[in-house]
Amino acid sequence: MATPAPIEVPPPNDRRGSRASQTSVHTQDEISPVGGPPTSPSPLQIRASRESSRKQSATKQPPDLSLLQYVSKPDSNLMCLICHCPFSDPLQLECEHIFCGDCLHTWEAQQAQQAQQRNRELADRKCPTCRTKYTGTRAVPKIIASMLDELVVNCPHTRAGCKWVDQRSNVKDHVMLYCEYTPVACSSFDCRHHIAQKDYHKGCLHYTVSCEQCHTSMMKKDLEVCVTDHQRTACAGRSTNCPHCSCELLRLDLKAHIKDVCGKVVVPCQGAIVGCAFSAERAEVVTHEKGCPMATMAPHFRDQQARIERNEARLEPLSRKVGILEDGLSNITNMLYPANANDSSYPVTNPLDPNTSEPFPPASLVPTPDFRLPPASFPPVPPNDTSQTPFQNPSQPPFDSQVHHLLTLHDSLREEVSRIANALTECEGRTNMMVINESQRVKDEMLHTNAAINGMRMQLHWLMSATLHQRTSSSASSSTGRAAASTSASGSGSAPTQGASRSGTGGTYHAPLRRLSDSTRQDTKL
Amino acid sequence: MSAGAKKRIMREYGECMADTPPGMKINFDERNMTKWEVLLDGPDQSPYAGGHFKLEINFPNEYPFKPPVVSFKTKIYHPNVSNDDKGSMCLGLLRADEWKPPNKVVAVLRLIQTLMIEPNPDDAIEPSIANEYKENRKEFEKNVKDWVKRYAK
Repeated sequence: MATPAPIEVPPPNDRRGSRASQTSVHTQDEISPVGGPPTSPSPLQIRASRESSRKQSATKQPPDLSLLQYVSKPDSNLMCLICHCPFSDPLQLECEHIFCGDCLHTWEAQQAQQAQQRNRELADRKCPTCRTKYTGTRAVPKIIASMLDELVVNCPHTRAGCKWVDQRSNVKDHVMLYCEYTPVACSSFDCRHHIAQKDYHKGCLHYTVSCEQCHTSMMKKDLEVCVTDHQRTACAGRSTNCPHCSCELLRLDLKAHIKDVCGKVVVPCQGAIVGCAFSAERAEVVTHEKGCPMATMAPHFRDQQARIERNEARLEPLSRKVGILEDGLSNITNMLYPANANDSSYPVTNPLDPNTSEPFPPASLVPTPDFRLPPASFPPVPPNDTSQTPFQNPSQPPFDSQVHHLLTLHDSLREEVSRIANALTECEGRTNMMVINESQRVKDEMLHTNAAINGMRMQLHWLMSATLHQRTSSSASSSTGRAAASTSASGSGSAPTQGASRSGTGGTYHAPLRRLSDSTRQDTKL
Repeated sequence: MSAGAKKRIMREYGECMADTPPGMKINFDERNMTKWEVLLDGPDQSPYAGGHFKLEINFPNEYPFKPPVVSFKTKIYHPNVSNDDKGSMCLGLLRADEWKPPNKVVAVLRLIQTLMIEPNPDDAIEPSIANEYKENRKEFEKNVKDWVKRYAK
């Protein structure tokens, strides 16, 4: 809700001030404990309750679409034939005639009433235009709805002073949320009048006051809202005489008149700001100013003054900014060159420090990364004349400027990073090659193993088939004798233990058996 | 009377003003807009030519769902207008069960004008005049002119 908070400030000459302040105290008590002790309800709850209570007190009426003023005459096809206004909440009948929802309902009610008067049931509902029977209504086509939404209307409170003009679809939002002229219930509890939303926070203005000049009594609201209108047109005591030139004018304009227009008021020369001491009635001053050099210069001076003020105003934030930047810079400097040069966290070797055990090795000789300062990019200073200066002032950076130093540092770091990146890629390539080689080898080995396994499987099959064949032949020819069976059984019994180790010999041993019947061999294969 | 009905009457008045049928003048009172006073000249091609007739249109509270009531304040010799103080008009369009909300007052006024040029004896309120109109046109016209002279000058 866009309503301002109900801060009730009793007007200065409020006759009902005591009562108004009482009520305001009441509301304050309800609202005040925001952010109170932990047991008190949270500010959110308070706000919610406050919102709802305010809603009750300031309910707004949604605008009646049929009473809107249209900026241009709407298309006659968009007019409801019953109310002769552009459709609001239109409904379409089965005969494709369209009417406002309200109009149609009124029509139906009317028809029902007439039927009742004639003691008849209302048999059919008929279209008001063509009298075609219809059973139901439906929504109008999208295009009609959007054409209606796009009609441009004035705010319903145009007469109160609202200048809003927009599409009809927005009018409800405007009136319910934004329009300052929407009447809302007066903020005072015991007042039943309405007041424009923009005056809501002024408290109750519905009491009679009298105009200071003409003593006409009127509602405070009217005096407040249109005070200029009243004093310009209606007030009986609106005209007065200028105390200086005794001409007649509106009381409202008196101050402006005395300040700028009246010829009899004693005013100083315009050149007073430059130093002219002349001061007389305005009419005289005007003639004086024509010849006064200071008065002619005054406008320029005033311009200059204004410009200086503008510049000063502009300068202030700039200087503040500079201060902030300087602070930041000194922070950085402190980080890079702490006042204590012996600090172990100071990684940068001072290139000009003769105490450094190892002076700068040439960059070409340093294959591994080192995070010392790169060779200084500025011409090395002969040590004989300045060797003492960094010592005397250790906080002073040895470079021309800190930025320069930082830049060189940055460059060296970048080089380092790229070198590391190269090394990484090289490393990666090498690893990849290694992996590929290794896997190739492993693959070969696996192939070998697979081949061996296959061979062994073949042999196993062959042995199995041989055994099976032996068994079937022994069971089939059980009549051949126990002795033969026992030898074959012993042979087969020893086969599992010996089969793997002496597969070659077993093969030769069983080979003749295998040739005996091909049919059994096929069986075992399967 | 609802705000919508008032607005509709205002609108219809605006339409009438923008496009008044010839020989017609509408008096409209802002304070009581449900009662219109219409001054109607007798159409030239009819025996009523030369007469000035005063009509009254009363809008019921249920307008436009109920028809407006049209009555001749000036006496007129016409088969479709009752020959009494009321001067009520018998017009198919204005019957309660014939009336349709989309009908407009302008249409009613135009219909009255055509009805003066050509009365409708089959739907008459005064059967004697209707008979005369049907059987003795000359006598009818004479009576009409007589009444115009007497009441509508």
